[in-house]
Amino acid sequence: MKKEVVAMLLAGGQGSRLYALTSNVAKPAVPFGGKYRIIDFPLSNCVNSGIDTVGVLTQYRPLELNAYLGNGQPWDLDRSDGGVHILPPYQREGEQGTWYKGTANAIYQNIGFQDLYDPEYVVVLSGDHIYKMDYSEMVSFHKKSGAACTISVLEVTMEEAKRFGILNVEANDKVYEFEEKPAQPKSNLASMGIYVFTWSKLRKYLIDDEADPSSSNDFGKNIIPNMLNAGEVMMAYRFAGYWKDVGTIESLWDANMDLLSRNSGLDMYDESWPIYARTPIKHPHVTGPDAVISHSLVTGGSRVEGTVANSVLFNTVTVEKGADIQYSILMPGATVKEGAKVAYSIVAEGATVEAGAAVGAPPDGSDGWGIAVVAGGVTVGANASVPPKAMIREDVKGGEQA
Amino acid sequence: MNDLHGILFAYRSDANLGELTRPRNTCSLPFGGRYRLIDFMLSNCVNAGITDVGVIVHQSYQSLLDHLGSGKDWDLSRKHGGLRILPPFSYTELGHGEYRGSMEALAGVRDYLSDIRQDYVLLAWGDVAINLPVDRVFQQHKDSGADITIVCTPTLKGAPQFSEYIEVSEEGRITDLSVHPTSAGKALESLEIYILSKRLLLDMVDYCAAHDVTNLSRGVLQPRLKSLKMVPYVHKGYVGRFQSVSDYFQRSQDLLDPEVRADLFDPARPIRTKDQSNPSTYYGPESVSKCSLVADGCFIEGEVENSILARGVIVEKGAKVSNSVLMQGTVVKTGASLSYVIADKAVTVNDGRVLMGHLTYPLAIAKGSVV
Repeated sequence: MKKEVVAMLLAGGQGSRLYALTSNVAKPAVPFGGKYRIIDFPLSNCVNSGIDTVGVLTQYRPLELNAYLGNGQPWDLDRSDGGVHILPPYQREGEQGTWYKGTANAIYQNIGFQDLYDPEYVVVLSGDHIYKMDYSEMVSFHKKSGAACTISVLEVTMEEAKRFGILNVEANDKVYEFEEKPAQPKSNLASMGIYVFTWSKLRKYLIDDEADPSSSNDFGKNIIPNMLNAGEVMMAYRFAGYWKDVGTIESLWDANMDLLSRNSGLDMYDESWPIYARTPIKHPHVTGPDAVISHSLVTGGSRVEGTVANSVLFNTVTVEKGADIQYSILMPGATVKEGAKVAYSIVAEGATVEAGAAVGAPPDGSDGWGIAVVAGGVTVGANASVPPKAMIREDVKGGEQA
Repeated sequence: MNDLHGILFAYRSDANLGELTRPRNTCSLPFGGRYRLIDFMLSNCVNAGITDVGVIVHQSYQSLLDHLGSGKDWDLSRKHGGLRILPPFSYTELGHGEYRGSMEALAGVRDYLSDIRQDYVLLAWGDVAINLPVDRVFQQHKDSGADITIVCTPTLKGAPQFSEYIEVSEEGRITDLSVHPTSAGKALESLEIYILSKRLLLDMVDYCAAHDVTNLSRGVLQPRLKSLKMVPYVHKGYVGRFQSVSDYFQRSQDLLDPEVRADLFDPARPIRTKDQSNPSTYYGPESVSKCSLVADGCFIEGEVENSILARGVIVEKGAKVSNSVLMQGTVVKTGASLSYVIADKAVTVNDGRVLMGHLTYPLAIAKGSVV
């Protein structure tokens, strides 16, 4: 059946700058904020914006992501018409089949999917941003302006602008130039990687781009510049609110810490724009007689007997008596045993910090400092120590320094 | 799919639960921070592979309907079978209130019963907190060749005047059933959970309808102790029954015992409930939380001890909550102090109020009240 708007969510990237956190899962499936995974944000935004047909383009390590999405029921995307669709690369008659070569190629390879719904507009999203946004307002803006493409932008400082794709605009926010990470930015409007395209236009540019062997088949590098050069109307849509790219260990840690602040601009308790998640079946969390918890998030199925401050605890986390957790993120099933200390660290799913071990340390101003990461399922042995910024992918034996 | 069908009785509003059952029937009483009582038996059915469950309701069932919805949170939203809510539909006895007994309730849904696809039926009340391995009960039922299996507990739970007790012969056959006696004696307490064949159930329902018999135990089981082989299934795990406000309070406090939690929330047989997509619970910089069970979506800046907090409870800075049960959406404002209190859903306790009940007489505050 025809749909006015279809969303395409790019979820195939490895997220290599999250290192051990994405060695087994795609970046959009990385746990975030106690209850969620990164992909819950764009998916919930779609549903809250009235978009009921979403293609999720997967490629790198899709198994956990596929299982998480399932039939889309937690997001009310189990629809008899539309709903959530997982779109991996596939083989065609007489071909070997290829991987998605770039973001534009991923959408190109699924032209058939989009044609099924014959949409007027396609919203292209990525699976590595934390934000709440009403895409329907952006689509209305796109319709009114008559643009071929609308790009959502955030005002950043001129210094930050050097790290982003920057849109240079005329007075009415019509884009005349796109610059990727400019050394001398002319504007402070950073692209958020959220696009609305008029489908008939995008379809043509995707086909032309595929025919160009020199293209890297990327939205930022190819499709957007090509559309601009051909004189298509391209608009910048200004977004004001919380938005964070969580593509690095530091930014992921930062964004989790933002949830502890009431002034960050991201309010998870606001029921007018809920973020949905697939939640495992767990009883409420339990606090013990010696528990000390301050300025932290704690989630169902967890047991806290020790001290937790300025931290985010996901479901089924155990913090034993005498354990001390400071400024850290403990992902689902993480266990910190008696007397262990964890500071400025991310302990991933199912990892164990044995009794008396020490992981991470507070910032000391040195260049070598950073957030320590213990990868999923890894055990840090009793009385072992893990220095700041370490990336622990394998078990650390008791008493040793990693 | 197995050969067992679930029928849950969800029509009683226990008058002894006072304020707690005014807006709802006992099966939809919130319990354990995120559950309704019916979640336990419903999950027990699902965990045993039962795919078809009928829930018999009569009145005050709006809250139960809201909670159960299509049954999807229990994986009971199905093309065939699944969850069916059964209000009275072939009920001819006009002019009186709730069903007089479970046989009358079954007669009220006679058409549904005849369409049951399975050969065996589980009958149970939906207002007991129990993690029962129904598949083992069913296996024992088939192995023992019993006509009726009755689930019992060796640890007496209910007040005698509301409970039923059985006596068992050396061969393991039930020889006596006493209903609401003055004292419990040394007998096993019946949990009023039964497995029997669909054919026997229909025979019983038709006999009772024809003879105006409304009570299962007095009208059917007692007279047929000799003609039917009745066998107990002894459940040694936790059982929570709710016959008074102080029962409710004490069963809630039971959940602070790790052994009770390990039994009732056994991860191998999870208790499912309606998912509400709450965020994690936030603890403020000066909060205290000790020996408590706290659901997701709470906002705690004050002190909480020995308490059970349901989803979305707010405890403001300087507020103190001890030995209490706060249901969903309760707000305790700055400087208020609660001890031995049961706050029903969406209660607001304003600044500086001091509310104090006692272990033997907890103070129950009605749904939506502002103190």
